[in-house]
Amino acid sequence: MRRSGSIPVLLLALGVLAGCQEQLTAPAECPELCPGTSLIIRDTVLHAAPGTDSSFTGYIGANQVPALLVSDGIPALEARAFATFPRRSDSVFIGGTQTLVTLDSVAITAQLIARDTAVKQLTIFYYRIAPDLDSTVTLPALDAMMTPETLIDSLIVPDTLKNGKVLRLVLAADKLDRLVGPVADTGRFGLGLKIKAAQATGIRLGSTFSNEGGPVFIGYGRAATTDTALQKQTLTIPAEKSNYVIDVPVAGGNGRLIVGGKFGTRSILRFEIPRLLRDSASVLRATLELTPAVPVPGLPNDPASLQVRGVLVDLGAKSPALAALIASAPVKANSTDVQFIEILAIVSAWFGPGNTAPTTLLMGIAPEGGSFGRPEFISSQDPVNGPRLRITYALPSRPGHP
Amino acid sequence: MRPVATALLGLLVAVPVAAQSSQFGVRGLGLPLRPISVRATGLGGGFSLFDLESALNPASVGQAVFLTASFQTVQNWRRSESPAGSSSARDNRYPGVFVAAPIGGTPLSISLSASGYTDRNFVLASRDTLILRDQPVEAFDTISSQGGLSDLRVAVGWRQSRAIQWGLGLHMITGSNRIVSHRVFADSTYSGASERFTYSYLGFGVSAGVVARIGKYFTLAGMVRADDRVRVELDTAALGNAKLPLTVSGGARIQLGDRVLLAGSALYRNWSTANADLMRLGGVGSVNMTEFSAGIEYLTDPRRMSHWPLRLGVRRATLPFPLRLGDKTTETALSIGTSIRFVAERAGIDMAVQQVWRKGGVGFSERATLLTLGVSVRP
Repeated sequence: MRRSGSIPVLLLALGVLAGCQEQLTAPAECPELCPGTSLIIRDTVLHAAPGTDSSFTGYIGANQVPALLVSDGIPALEARAFATFPRRSDSVFIGGTQTLVTLDSVAITAQLIARDTAVKQLTIFYYRIAPDLDSTVTLPALDAMMTPETLIDSLIVPDTLKNGKVLRLVLAADKLDRLVGPVADTGRFGLGLKIKAAQATGIRLGSTFSNEGGPVFIGYGRAATTDTALQKQTLTIPAEKSNYVIDVPVAGGNGRLIVGGKFGTRSILRFEIPRLLRDSASVLRATLELTPAVPVPGLPNDPASLQVRGVLVDLGAKSPALAALIASAPVKANSTDVQFIEILAIVSAWFGPGNTAPTTLLMGIAPEGGSFGRPEFISSQDPVNGPRLRITYALPSRPGHP
Repeated sequence: MRPVATALLGLLVAVPVAAQSSQFGVRGLGLPLRPISVRATGLGGGFSLFDLESALNPASVGQAVFLTASFQTVQNWRRSESPAGSSSARDNRYPGVFVAAPIGGTPLSISLSASGYTDRNFVLASRDTLILRDQPVEAFDTISSQGGLSDLRVAVGWRQSRAIQWGLGLHMITGSNRIVSHRVFADSTYSGASERFTYSYLGFGVSAGVVARIGKYFTLAGMVRADDRVRVELDTAALGNAKLPLTVSGGARIQLGDRVLLAGSALYRNWSTANADLMRLGGVGSVNMTEFSAGIEYLTDPRRMSHWPLRLGVRRATLPFPLRLGDKTTETALSIGTSIRFVAERAGIDMAVQQVWRKGGVGFSERATLLTLGVSVRP
């Protein structure tokens, strides 16, 4: 049988074709060459449905604040913080024996979450106050407790101290008596915080509900033991409660949408989008435009984050927010500019054939209950400056016709 | 009949996905394809009316005296020039599957084939500047189409005598264009958007042909084919109809001595019949087309015709779907090919290389190289 050279030829041919790839793209001069036009792009502004927007408060429990606000001189945002420490033990167990510890010094620490770094000469004042305060205490009442007589000490914060660092006040042995309260306190300790600076400012400190944790009392002492290795002892006592009191501004009232504040005020917005648009358009960009009714209250150089979320179902104040559909934008203090928040992901979820998702937005401030930012926006009662949704969308053009 | 069943199953599974993409396939139903074998391709198409493995003339099926199955694939490299710029593209398609067999005890043969009717594979990229929110924003568009029309044929050939064969074919024309239009923006604050949909087509046709040998060395062939309207759907909604053309073709073949075969053919399709329908569907329209082709085959071994023959061909055609109204689009091709058979002549491969030039309107031109490979078996 004669062997032909065809098998290698076949293999070669298959190899050539197997190595081939597809690449079809060619430049085109449209509409001359293109079979039809590309997607049709349009832009529209939708105003919030009149009278359907409103603000609700109480989303943050009065004793669950995620930060402690302390301020001095910020208009309508005067704030003081306080913390309560449990009765501290005066002894430790060494070798199974309860051993008395004599304190040499004490440190009170707190986590600095944010400050206005442009403000210099920041000083924090620590006061011994009643240890039984709760969220009902008022600013005047708290101020009344913080007198020169109850002043424990003050801490000058270095101008270069960055956010996220620890503030540490150390009290030597000669000042420890300032921590001692009346017998009625039964050993518990209340701490009040005020600040002063070269100009009006504020700070945010970690609270017992924040990731950073609240104030901590650390006692350094010596145990009455002969074992020198065990003589130095440290007693660490985290605050059992911490909170702040803020000078609550007068509510915005009609025509305003409020977000933020200690109790986590939120606002709800509703839009009516034409069915035809929802069924056939693809959203390319969606921007929520909000006009401040007044200069945005807040701490300069510590912008609050305005958060906008979609909702699973519109139940008014109790609408469950969709965690995945969230957009945010910083809101600068004292700004009067229109605030723009890009909410493409949220609005895109409203579109699609037969889509019945609620076209409702829930707005809040982050960290909720732990920020000075408390903007007030003009509501839908103002048909011109009320909330607006600017949508750039694409409509199908069905190109490629024969 | 087991090999026949296997071959038929393969035919049904391997419905072709059209062939060479081209910027001239953007309009109308796409770039017309030729249902011809690799051998006929190497001969410029001049032999296609006489060639058993080509699905142009149903009368050629009458040559099937034993089961024959073939499959071909084509690799296309092209460079296109347009007023928007130039580009190089490449693609690979499987434009033809063919099975034929005699019907035992009769002078009849039957053939099933699937071949490309038109090709509409393209990706067009363009850019534009839009004014969005009072700002100019650069937009990048791509429109892509995948697919085309396929021609599924069942044909019966009748060997009236050793000199004359007749044939009748029934055709189903079906296929789709999967369109994707995509638009993205230079400004990343704008999301991209796409739309996807499918044009689908369905139509039927009938063809008839004859091959007649006159004397020992001269053979004539002719065919006529009438296709009905093709129904066009956009996704699942009826969009309209387009009339398909009448095809008439004739050719002659001459054998010069033992080693040389010459053939030529002409083909005419009245695509203008679809003009009004295509314009109604939003297209530019269509014009009649003609095609002239000729080829020469030199046999290196007259006793083994498929053992490394040299095939040369030339073709000149007009294309039916102009890019712009009034443009005349032409296609010119030179081809070369050969083949080899092995396993006691039961299997073989055919090869053809074509150099194609297309031109249409001002500024639109294209040069393509097509490598076509075919495998045929006679179990």
